[in-house]
Amino acid sequence: MILRNLRNSTAAAVAGGCGLATGFYAVSSMLLTGSSSTFIPALGAIALAGITPALILNNRKNRSVNQSYPEMAQRFEALNRHASINIVNEKDKLTEVNEKFLELTGYSRDELIGEPINILFGTSDQEVRQDIRRNLMLGKTWSGETPILCKDGSTVFTQSTIMPLFDKTGNWAGSISARTDITQTNKLIAERHTAQTLYELHDDIWIIDSETEKFSYMNRAAKARLHVGDEDYRGKSLGELNCEHDISGVLDACRALRKNGESSAQLETTFMGVPADVSIKFLPEAGGSARYLILFNDITDRIEQENRKSAFISNVSHELRSPMTSIKGAMGLLLSGSAGELPNKALSLLEIAHRNADRLVLIINDMLDLDKISSGQMEFDIKDIDLSELVLETDQANMMLQQRFGIKVELIGTDAPVNLRSDPNRIIQVLTNLLSNAYKFSKPNSRILINVQDETDHVRVSVNDEGPGIPLDEQHKIFDRFADMTNSDRKAKGGTGLGLNICRAIIENLGGTIGFETEEHVGSTFYFTLPKEPVKDIDIEVNGEKRVA
Amino acid sequence: MIKLLHVEDDADIREIAQMALDLSGEFHVIQCCSGEEALAQVETYTPDVILLDMMMPGMTGRQTLEKMREKPAFAEIPAIFMTARAQHAEIEELLQIGAAEVISKPFDPMSLSYQIKQAMQKIR
Repeated sequence: MILRNLRNSTAAAVAGGCGLATGFYAVSSMLLTGSSSTFIPALGAIALAGITPALILNNRKNRSVNQSYPEMAQRFEALNRHASINIVNEKDKLTEVNEKFLELTGYSRDELIGEPINILFGTSDQEVRQDIRRNLMLGKTWSGETPILCKDGSTVFTQSTIMPLFDKTGNWAGSISARTDITQTNKLIAERHTAQTLYELHDDIWIIDSETEKFSYMNRAAKARLHVGDEDYRGKSLGELNCEHDISGVLDACRALRKNGESSAQLETTFMGVPADVSIKFLPEAGGSARYLILFNDITDRIEQENRKSAFISNVSHELRSPMTSIKGAMGLLLSGSAGELPNKALSLLEIAHRNADRLVLIINDMLDLDKISSGQMEFDIKDIDLSELVLETDQANMMLQQRFGIKVELIGTDAPVNLRSDPNRIIQVLTNLLSNAYKFSKPNSRILINVQDETDHVRVSVNDEGPGIPLDEQHKIFDRFADMTNSDRKAKGGTGLGLNICRAIIENLGGTIGFETEEHVGSTFYFTLPKEPVKDIDIEVNGEKRVA
Repeated sequence: MIKLLHVEDDADIREIAQMALDLSGEFHVIQCCSGEEALAQVETYTPDVILLDMMMPGMTGRQTLEKMREKPAFAEIPAIFMTARAQHAEIEELLQIGAAEVISKPFDPMSLSYQIKQAMQKIR
């Protein structure tokens, strides 16, 4: 139906345009081969058969039919030099290509002629190809971007104009395409977009020469913060812009990158009174000296948000403690018999409630600790301590657990003082957690061994139990938050799933290491080491990202 | 009998503490629900030990103690704080202003009297 309509609409033009079309193809054929003296028999045959590009026919109505042959040849020569041209027949097979097309695709003429045009399209361009075909069948010219698959497997992007061809009786005879390589243009546009995006970014961007430490680029936000124009900053050092004192930490990090051959770094700092997350990328030499790309992300809002969240968690946690005091207190008094004897069933139910109230208090405490760890606000009070004394104190404080679980605790290395500078309360917190886990997972009437080792520059404490050990598939996640959620024993054992995660954060913040050794059905040993002198800076790891507290 | 002044705004906690201290039979407890009420009480009553809630509407436990300490008779009386905000820095601060002990909430009612007596001994 479509074809019949096309025939009707073009029939008159075809008749009149035959002569012109013949000339057009005679010229185009000569030019496509790159030689005005060679005549391509196939194209000549097409031309002689009166195949006519639809647009030429349409345009002919408005133009003089008396365009001279040399004039047309000149126009076609210009087109031939500018564009990559190919012709396909009604079966979508390539029947002609010009030299530029061969240059573009890397194929030889012999490799292309007779081959389906599809070999030049990737598999992902189905929609474009269908759109082109739909338009051509309607007698319309299609224009747009088409990727072309080259012989070497690379893709070039072309701006293409594809025009349908009809024979003298108006039958579909293929198409002619003129293409311009726009790969480079696309790259330039992308680069311009990138440059524009960088310029308009809300974050400050600096590019500094690594040799001279002078500015080579600042985006709009950076210029606004430093109150400088284009002419004020280029080729100037940080000192010349009076901001060196504010940014010495960033410069040190840049120099360290260069010295250590690393490519990127991240740190938190305050620049001109603004808290910022700074990302530094070392850009190696590429046609010039190496440079540092520095991105300042103003984190004032984020910090405010974190503070609000922390305050909320802190308030809620503390507010929960008051009712918990009444609940736990009332249950404790009932359990002690101070309100009279209770039936055994009531006593048993009350014990369950009391145990879970204890667990709730642990969760509240852990939530507070986790929030402090996440926001880098965990407090450490470093003082001279005797580790042996701390271990004995912790053991004494957990005496109730010894009786409850029927466990014997053995201590090694606590006879003599083991001195170090660290946070005693945090160490007790870790020890209590490790010890509590050991109690919970030990077999009744087994033993727990606490071993304190005094090494040259560090101490090591281990807590060994005769429990079931940790299955291999659980070991990798043992220090993760809620790591033992899949462990059906957790609720029965009364854990929160946060304890070991908090222990790791505490020990790492104190400059030590924490780990475990385990054997199924034999037992586990959890240990930690601590330096005898505390670390200077405390690094806090949040979701795998290091922050300087 | 040890004369104890307990200042706590939460009525339930006051009742729990009263019962817990009654168990030992060693305490005579007077309770107040605010710092202001406690200051009025000490005009006519001199306790042996003061048990103060830290966070209260109106005067905080700390402000209440500071006011009490202005009276010469109260300069040496052991003061024990109870707080739900048992953060390390706050505990240190309270000990520095003369607290004999800081008991974290929730507290164990069965060991409350023991903790108070221990703190009183520490001061002596």
